[in-house]
Order: sequence, then C-alpha cells, then structure tokens
Amino acid sequence: MVYPTIATIRFSLYNETATKFVGLHNFASVFSTDAILTAFKNNIVWVLIFPFFVTFIGLMVAVLTERIRWATAFKTIIVMPIVFSTTASALVWRTIFDLNPHVGVVNAIEQTVSDWFRTPGAYPLNTAIGQTTASLASFNATGGPGGTLVNKSVVHPGGTVMMGLTRISSVTLQTLGATTPVAPRKIAGGIAGLVWNDFSPLQTSNTTTIVSDEHGLPNLRLSLVSSTGSSVASTATNSSGDFSFSHVAPGSYHVEILASNFQNAFEGTFWLGSQSITPTNGLNQTAQSLLSVPLIDLAMIISYIWIWAGFAMVLIGAGLAALNREVLEAAEIDGATEWQKLRRVTIPMLAPVLTVVFVTMVINVLKVFDIILNMAPGSSQGPATTLALSIYNDGFTGGIHSGVASAIAVILFLLVIPIMFWNLKKIKG
Amino acid sequence: MSSVTLRELTKQYTGNAALSLDSVSLDVAHGEFICLVGPSGCGKTTALRMIAGLESVTSGEIEIGDRVVNDLAPRDRDIALVFQSYALYPHMTVFDNMSFGLKLRKVPKDEINTAVTDAARILDLEQYLDRKPSQLSGGQRQRVALGRAIVRSPAAFLMDEPLSNLDAKLRVQTRAEIARLHQRLGATMIYVTHDQVEAMTMADRIAVINLGKLEQVGSPRELYDRPANQFVAGFIGSPSMNFVPMHVESVDGGIRVVSAGGDMDVTLDDVESDMIRRAGVSDVVMGVRPEHIDHLARSGRGLQLRASVDVIEFLGNDEHVHLSSGGHELVAIVDARTPLTIGDSLTLSASSEAIHLFHPETGIALK
Amino acid sequence: MSKETPVKESRIAVLAKRLHLSKSAVNVVLALVAIFWLVPTISLLVISLRPESLFGQSGWWTVLTAPSQLTFGNYATIFSQGFATGGVLDSLITSLEITIPATILVALISSLAAYSLVFGFWRGRDTIFLVIVGLMVVPLQVALIPVVQFYRELGNLFGLNPYGTIPGVIIFHVAFGLPFGIFLMRNFLSGIPKDLLEAGRIEGAGEWKIFYRIVLPLALPAIASLAIFQFIWVWNDLLVALVFLGGNVHSPLTIFLYDQTRSLAANYWIVSTGAVVSIFVPLIVFFSFQRYFVRGVLAGAVK
Repeated sequence: MVYPTIATIRFSLYNETATKFVGLHNFASVFSTDAILTAFKNNIVWVLIFPFFVTFIGLMVAVLTERIRWATAFKTIIVMPIVFSTTASALVWRTIFDLNPHVGVVNAIEQTVSDWFRTPGAYPLNTAIGQTTASLASFNATGGPGGTLVNKSVVHPGGTVMMGLTRISSVTLQTLGATTPVAPRKIAGGIAGLVWNDFSPLQTSNTTTIVSDEHGLPNLRLSLVSSTGSSVASTATNSSGDFSFSHVAPGSYHVEILASNFQNAFEGTFWLGSQSITPTNGLNQTAQSLLSVPLIDLAMIISYIWIWAGFAMVLIGAGLAALNREVLEAAEIDGATEWQKLRRVTIPMLAPVLTVVFVTMVINVLKVFDIILNMAPGSSQGPATTLALSIYNDGFTGGIHSGVASAIAVILFLLVIPIMFWNLKKIKG
Repeated sequence: MSSVTLRELTKQYTGNAALSLDSVSLDVAHGEFICLVGPSGCGKTTALRMIAGLESVTSGEIEIGDRVVNDLAPRDRDIALVFQSYALYPHMTVFDNMSFGLKLRKVPKDEINTAVTDAARILDLEQYLDRKPSQLSGGQRQRVALGRAIVRSPAAFLMDEPLSNLDAKLRVQTRAEIARLHQRLGATMIYVTHDQVEAMTMADRIAVINLGKLEQVGSPRELYDRPANQFVAGFIGSPSMNFVPMHVESVDGGIRVVSAGGDMDVTLDDVESDMIRRAGVSDVVMGVRPEHIDHLARSGRGLQLRASVDVIEFLGNDEHVHLSSGGHELVAIVDARTPLTIGDSLTLSASSEAIHLFHPETGIALK
Repeated sequence: MSKETPVKESRIAVLAKRLHLSKSAVNVVLALVAIFWLVPTISLLVISLRPESLFGQSGWWTVLTAPSQLTFGNYATIFSQGFATGGVLDSLITSLEITIPATILVALISSLAAYSLVFGFWRGRDTIFLVIVGLMVVPLQVALIPVVQFYRELGNLFGLNPYGTIPGVIIFHVAFGLPFGIFLMRNFLSGIPKDLLEAGRIEGAGEWKIFYRIVLPLALPAIASLAIFQFIWVWNDLLVALVFLGGNVHSPLTIFLYDQTRSLAANYWIVSTGAVVSIFVPLIVFFSFQRYFVRGVLAGAVK
C-alpha cells in the first residue's frame, strides 16, 4: 500500500503519458483549471456543511432516543441506509428531488404549499416570451396593479361589456371545456358581459366581434369596480364566456379581470440543478467556480446525511451510555433543568466522541464520489463535481491523463495527512 | 439548616416482590449528624437517594424542614449530595465544579466568588481551584465534592459512603475532617456507610438498617450498650460480639443458662430470671463482647466459662485470643502481657452487665 | 460499593416520570423522524412496483389510497433475461464472486496478522502497527492509478495482467480492507489474556493449534463484525469496480445499476427494480447480524 502512494506522487510529477518529467506543472494546471477549482470549492462546501449537520443530527437523535421504549426499532430504521449502496441511495434521492411533482416528493409538497397560498389561475401567462396581461387584450384595457387587466371603458347598469382576449392556447380552451361564445344580453339593473378568445383562424384580422369558430373563456374571475375604485361585486364566466352582475346600483363602473387568473402554476424547484444559492451571477468564470454554491450540492448533502446520520447516532449513543450517571444526577441536584444538563454537562462530556464522529465524517466527505456520479444529472455533473470525482474522470475516462489526475490525488492525500497524524496520536496515547 | 423526617417510608422496585425499604420512620433533628448503617444491599443508599429525590417514593412521606418533598424535583429540595464516586464534572475546573449550582441559580458573580473561596479555604483546596478533576488525587477530589455541597448551603447534607474509595490512612484523616466540618457548620448531615467504625466515631445518632427494615436508632453508646436485637449487637463493635446458643435451666428458684457442653454458664439474678421466665423460652442466644471477657474467675452472677486457646493474635497492647469451648468458638480480648500459649486451658468470666440474651427465633434482646 | 442492581432501571423510571409531559413530545418528534427516514426506502420500493404508465402522472404516494396499483411487472422485465450476461442475475452472481472471497480473505488475513501483532515478539512490531493505523485514512483514489500501472507491469512480466479481471478487483479490495481489519482484530485480540495461550503452550500445543483452537473461537464475535462490515463495503463499492472492471463483460450489481441509471435515466420504474435487488442482499445480512453490524460500526470505522 505504501508503494502506490509513492508511485502516485511520482506520477503527479510527470506529464500526461508519464514519459516526461514536468515537475510541478501538473499542480499548476490543477490550480488554474476552472473545472478543478470548482471541484475544490465543492469539497469545501461539503466539508463545511456535512460533518457539522450529520454530527448535530446524530447527537439530537441519540439523546432523544434514550427516552423512548422503541429505541431499538428506531435505531434500526436510522442505521439502515448505511447498508445500501451509494448508487441505490443516490437513485432514491434523485427521484425524491425530481422536478415533476408527480415524481418528486419535495416538489409535490412545495406545490401543495404554494397552491395553498397562491392559487394558480386557469390562464397562466407565458413569462418566457414576455407576455403581460395587457398584451392579451384586444379591447381597450390597461394592465392594473398586481397584474389585473382593467377595462378602461365605463359601463352603467343595463349596459354590456365585451372583452376579447388573444393568445390563449387551444389546449387550455379544451381543458376548460370552452364553448361557443354567446353575445351578452342586457340586464335591467345589472351588467352583463362576455369574455372570449378573440382569435379566429378564419378571420384573423377580425377583432372585437364574435366569429363562429371562436370560443368563450370559462372560469375567468372578474370584479365590478365602482367609480371610487372599490370592488362592489365579483363573479366568474361560464363555459361560453358569459358573465353577469345583478342588482347593481346606479353609477359608473368598469370591469376588471382579476390577476389571479393569470398566475403561473407552480414551477418547481430544480433541486438537482446548478443554480447557485450564493449570488454570483455577475462574476467572471473563475470567481464563479470558487464562490457559487449549486443547489444540487444541498440536495446531495441532504441525501448523504440520510445515509450517515445513523453512524453518528450509534457512536454517540454508545458514548452517552458510557457516561457516568452520577455526574448527571449531581447536576440535577445542583439545580440543572434537562436542557441545562444537556448543554452544560452531557455535551461537554461527550466531546471526545463528538470529535471522533466529526473527524470521521470529514474524512468520509473528502472522498465523496459515487453519490455525485449517480445523483447529478448530466448537466449538473460539472458544477457539482469534487476532487475525488475529478480523479476518476481525468484518470480513467476519456484518455488516461495520469499526470493531472495523480496531482489531484496527491492534493487529496495532503489534505488527509493531518488527520492521519491526529489519529495516530490518539491511538498512541 | 433543617430537620429531616421520614414517615413510614417504603420502596418497592417494579418487578421485585421484596421491599427495598419497609416502613422506615426516622426523625433527624436540625443540625444533627446521623448515620445510616447496614450491610450491602440493606436499603440505606436507597433511603438516601429517596431523600435526595433521585428515587421515587412507593409510599410514605419525606419532610425537609416543614415541607413534604415527595413530589419535588431534586433541585427544589435544597439538599446537597456527596457521591461515593464524587461525580465531579470532568470538563470543569475545581472552581467551576463548585460554583456550578450557584451559577445555575443566577447568584451574582461576587457572591459566588466569596462562597467558593471560603469553602476552598476550609477544605484546603485554594491552590487547586484551576485544576481539572483528572489532575487531582482521590482525597482532593473528595474534598471538591464536599466543597460543592458546602457552597450550596443546603438544608441538609447527604453523603453516600464518601470515604469508601479512599485508602485506609486517608480515610481516617478525612473522617476527622468531616466531623470537624460538622461542628463548624452545624449542618444537618445524613451519612450512609457500611462501616460501623465510621458510624460510631462520627454520628450523633446511628440508624441500623437491615433488609429494608430499621433495626434500631440511637446514640452510639446506646447501640453499643443496649442493642435491641441480635443483628444490631453483632453489627456494632469490632471484633463483633460472640454468640452462643444456650439452654435455660431452672435452678434453686433462679434461672441458669447453660451451653450444650456445660463449659459455659450464666447465672441470672431475680429480675433477670423473671424476664426470661416471662419470655417463655427454653433456649436463648447469649451474646458477650470480646472486650468484656476477662481472664479471671468470678463467682455469683455473670458468665463463667472454660475454654482452650486456639489462636493468639498479638496487637501490641492487646491480644485477641480465639478460644474454643465445648465446640463453640469465641474471641476474647486480653492484656498483651498475659502469658498464654496455644492449647492452654483457661477459666474466663464476664460480669452480668456485659451479658446479652436474645430470643432464639426473633433475635430480640431479652436482657 | 453497595450498589443495588435494580437501581439502574428505576433511575430511568424517575427520569421518565419527571418528564412525563415531554415524553409524548419526544415520541412524536422521533416518530416523525422515523417516518422521514423510511420514506426514501419505501418510495423506491413502491416506484419499482408501479407500472410504467402511472409514472410521472401521479405520485407514488397515491398507492396509499389505491393499493391496486402495485404490480410485479417491472420485476418480470428485469429478470426476463435470466442468467444471460449483462442481466441482473448475472450481475448478482458477479457481485457475490467478488464480495465473498474478498470478505473471507480479509477476515482470515486480518486475524492472522493481528495474532502476530498481539502475541508475537519481533522487532518493529509496534511501528508496523502504527503504519497500518495511519494507512487506514488513505483514500482509495490515491492508489488507483499506480495499481493499474502495476497490474500492467505484472502483465508484461508474467503475462498475467490482473487489470480487468475479477481477481484483480478482489486483490485491491483485500489490500484496502486489511488496515481496518487488522486494526479491529488487533484491538479485540489484545483483550484476550495471555495466560490462556500460555496454558495451551504448557499443554503442548503448537502455535497453529493455539491460533486455531483457542484464539479463533474466542475471536468469533469480532470476526463476525469485521466480516459483515467488509461484506457490505465491498458489495456496495462502485469506484474500484468501475476502475478495474469498467469494460468487462460481467459486472457487479453496482456497475449494473450505474449503467442503468445513466442509460435509462428517466425510466425510474425499471432502474429502481435494479436498486431494490442490489439492496436486498445487504439488507438481509444487516437484519440477521444487526448486533455484529453495530459493533463493527462502533469499532471506529475510519473508512
């Protein structure tokens, strides 16, 4: 085992095909290649976030588990993921974080919550092509506050309103069961109207009048606004696009189409993507490599915690069980509450175990490789890569770039050395 | 300082048919030093922990001062407990160990400082305040445990065999220190031990517990001179009391108690004879302490005994002589200058005040 | 020390009684945590049991209200290849071919080495042990490239290039499993009193007999823990397999799954069946030997 280490160091000092001695050239290219800098950054992100949280969760769970009767069953559940291959786990979490709310649990929950607060409208705007509410209208309208569509024409009780909208997709019309529009009939003391899709393939230039193959716009929510600007009534269109407000007091009004009709459906969070949590959009390439934190890193860290928290829990649980009960009793007599006991006595006494867990997890995470390979979709592999993965990619796929790959391996090794010494010291003492 | 009262205190652990504590009632006076003694597993530690609030009460009441504390958490009972294993906080310095309780109660910093330095001075710990427990010796740790208790100025000090982890010499030294501490603080102290020497030397009163039951409570002298039953008689005093089963005989209108072989007999006076007759027993167990057996002959009341010498243990001023008499073995303590050799036949006696007679079945003292 | 045995259980009882209110809160919290933990595994299972048509149209959780969705169709598909090369059963067997020898070899060699380290007296004994402990931390990646080259050299010299062969993988796994294995066994064996061996020697037993009849039986629990840990580690390994068996015709389950994930990325219903199969064996090992597994973890896994 020692031989390979030395050989790797030797390789790192040679060129690609191991024929020419290039000294530290490989190392220089390591530090200047954006891709590798990204890998470096990702390793740092992992090391900063993962060990802390996994130890923390392990600790909380170990402490709480002492109090319940079904501790063994619980521990089994939490420890179980360790026996799964990382590949399988990566697969599982990939489905959980999937964008499609019919596949990914997370997005499904997000959608449910989002819909609860912000009901999606039947006629979502296509912001990708710059649609605004105003651009939809073929009648005299402006865009109102919050995305409402305001009909500028004034109407009085007994009058009618005709509002034509364009650029509504036929799929939407079909889904909503739109039927042929009917011209509105006047209502005494009320206001009637029609909202219809004012686009006919037969008479493309004809706007503002109803053509036979056009459709009404159902389920459109409207509000009747008085001259003072307050809404006095609201209603929705039926399948032919017709609506009416009855028992309207005399006065001038205008009709508004509510913004909620145009609200976009929930778009979902692309957890598996490289969108950065940190605001780095304006920076140059290298800076971005170093500073952006892709969302997928978070997703992967969460899944990795799922796998390893059991390990932390078992070790910390053993440490807890080995604690001197009487010291905790002394604390109780001294006046400590449960929380104070935990914070001021239990956790400090657990310091050695917590350190072991933490360090072990740091080592573990420096080598993280297969979860990224399996969980990140092709487009995210680059932004999510780590040093270990780079070694594999550079060293074993495509051509054999043993020089650079070895250089990376050496760097990884160097990172691990201090921990190795610390471990040795611990064993000796 | 408060009094502590136990009323019919009983403890039964779930799953155990036997009672760990059986209806123990005890009144500890304000400022008193009382020892709970008994063999391992007798329930004395259980009782102490119940007073502290670390064990639940099955039935009965515990009062500290005037309050019934059964339902109070340990931290609300105003007691301090010195553990057998000291239970110091390993990650804190001596100073922090002692001040922890006060810090939790949000006592102002300068008050904490004074309290801790005072206690440290009393216990000779001032130079160790910055050290951690791992850097201290056993005796020093013990003193820190005491210091932690003192600083709290509790209503009562509870101590659970605090000296058993110390070596013999240190034990004697610390024993005196604790006694001195008690005098100085005038504190109510409840001290648990299995060592009757500790109990005899330190306590104002001793409570002897066996198998969960309170056998006797009294001053050391009371327990020594007038043990209520055979257990207490055998437990107090070292080397322990000699016990010989004997038979009751009527003789000349009085009562004589004789051993099986006839080598030992006790003559009783009228009052004593009356007591035996009223007890209505035909056999008794006779008890006599080794230190009360003299190497001389007596006539009249008291014990006469003929025995041969088996083993002689020379202890400087005294000799512990192991005797056998008619198949029974006894120990006697005589002056070391007495010329004795193994195999000698001796006549020994003891005055009637030193003789105890116990009921053969119940063990209760008849005389 | 007068410690009565029932004391320990009653302390917990007192604690629990005092925390009577928070006890139910703790139970609720932990129940939620347990459910959260189980969701991923269950989701995998359910997805593999749902037909292709339902995927992406409705969430797998709808199975809770409509259990009739479940079907074994996907499994029929994945097993339809039978034992043909490249199929799931072939990979299963390959995985076994790699894992079982690797585990046995590591267990055996670790025990022997540990025995020598604990009961032998030779110069440099302690130094070698420290070196081994240090090596535990070395990441696999460091050794990959050189070993590949090394194998190639061997091929040039002896005509036997282990690269790309199953024995090649096994050797690598054994080499990297040994430091931890020796560490574990050595720690365990040092707890065996030397008197036992001396008694054996006096009775006339030779070194091998002593090892075989005295030490080994005593060491069984530790060996079990090591074996289980090693088994699961090798079974689940992907990196070493990829490097050394990348293009090989027979691949272990991990590579099989990896290939499926890459080529059939969106066809989760099929890929998850492969995952379930790959999980199956370690799960059985885990449940049967739970106690030993936890012990192995506790031995300070520095992998």
